[in-house]
Amino acid sequence: MLEWIALIVILIVIVVVVIFFSYYNKIIRLENRIDNAWAQIDVQLRRRAELIPNLMETVKGYMKHERETLEKVTNARAALMKATTPQENIAADNMLTGALKSLFAVAESYPDLKANQNFLQLQDELTHTEDKIAYSRQHYNDTVLRFNNTVETFPGIIFARRMGKSEKEMLSIPETAREPPKVAF
Amino acid sequence: MEQQLLVEDHIRKNKRDTVIICMGMVLLLFGVIFSIGVVLGFPPIYATMIGVPLALLYIGITYSFSVQSVIAAAKARPANPQIREEKLLMYKVEEMAIAAGLPTPKTYVQDSSDINAFATGKKPEEAVICATTGALRKLSTAELEGVISHEMSHIKNRDILVMTVTVGVIGAIALIAEIVLRSLFWSGGRRGGGRRDGEGQAIILIIALVFIILAPIFSRLTYFAISRRREYLADANGAYLSRNPEGLARALEKIKADLPDDPKGSKTVAPLYIANPFKRSLRDSIWSTHPPLDERIRRLRSM
Repeated sequence: MLEWIALIVILIVIVVVVIFFSYYNKIIRLENRIDNAWAQIDVQLRRRAELIPNLMETVKGYMKHERETLEKVTNARAALMKATTPQENIAADNMLTGALKSLFAVAESYPDLKANQNFLQLQDELTHTEDKIAYSRQHYNDTVLRFNNTVETFPGIIFARRMGKSEKEMLSIPETAREPPKVAF
Repeated sequence: MEQQLLVEDHIRKNKRDTVIICMGMVLLLFGVIFSIGVVLGFPPIYATMIGVPLALLYIGITYSFSVQSVIAAAKARPANPQIREEKLLMYKVEEMAIAAGLPTPKTYVQDSSDINAFATGKKPEEAVICATTGALRKLSTAELEGVISHEMSHIKNRDILVMTVTVGVIGAIALIAEIVLRSLFWSGGRRGGGRRDGEGQAIILIIALVFIILAPIFSRLTYFAISRRREYLADANGAYLSRNPEGLARALEKIKADLPDDPKGSKTVAPLYIANPFKRSLRDSIWSTHPPLDERIRRLRSM
């Protein structure tokens, strides 16, 4: 009987230690994952900025009368290249998304351009990069949500307090970028 | 926001159910081992010493069933980025991997007019997602995204690993039950029985015997139940990844309308597919690896 009690006590101690370590690791791992998720967004944003000059080069010859549309894309790209803070990055990215959307909408009325293989490929790749940015942002926010849930609920809050960790902020979409892009024909 | 919470609730419920079923599985295995102890009259520790290595051996054998053998059984080939449809599939796989925070799985294509897809690989690092050419042709972008999000969730939930271990436990239970029943047949059930007089002992012996006979059936049923749970879980998780349950719901509707009259491909791969091509019956059955499509569509639409 005594042996059983000893066994149970040992098991309980092991469980408590395991819980402590798993929470410690979980908090650190989530924090690293948040940093990594941000780095991923950054990579996608750069990739997208790199694709724009190619697109402009391809489109230029066909869209001579769409200076305004083209300028918007160029300006948004310049803003993206200059951006330093996450919020600036996201704002410039939203601007670029809007500008590209109108460019592709305008492209619909240029059958020659739509038949251009190079243009089609760039369009596919830009749409893909745009989706990747959207999903990296989603993943970033998901991870922040998990982190916040972990450090704000019991028993994680006990360990988080000791480690000096507190809630992190999610990526919000700036108000100005939320309005739908205007399509001018 | 409210919609997301609902999807998360689905995920939590499904996870809890899977845990309960898995615990049932472990209890079943221990039940078998202890019943053997009662029947053969030796202490459970010996039965454990026989049973656990057997279970591990089984798991080891099923574990070595590699990604490549599944790919070969499905006659799949790597996606070709020169073909636009397949390039867009690779794009979708990459996007869903980003949404799930996983390394991008290798993308394969299976030449078949059916709409289907599967994922395999015990670790996310070696995972593969394969879609049929029929799926690429017949599904819209949002629908394809739904299908890929479902497969990505299987990888994220390590379903392949869970199912492999489950198959191992089932195999062990079946094998132990078989050995015990045979040895009882040869020895007349009288081996090593110490104090086994009295009616109470006889009743326990009969219960233990019945249990050993029924255990393999129970374990198979549990396997199917776990498999169905994990399909629901992958649906809910997929909807959470793509933030668009309707995409997957529409894809499942198309699959339902398009169920093959003459299913092709290998039965080995069948439980891995998003919808089992060999099970045309839409009824709920305790013997199927996948829940009925109608119920899956209904749950997706209620998210």
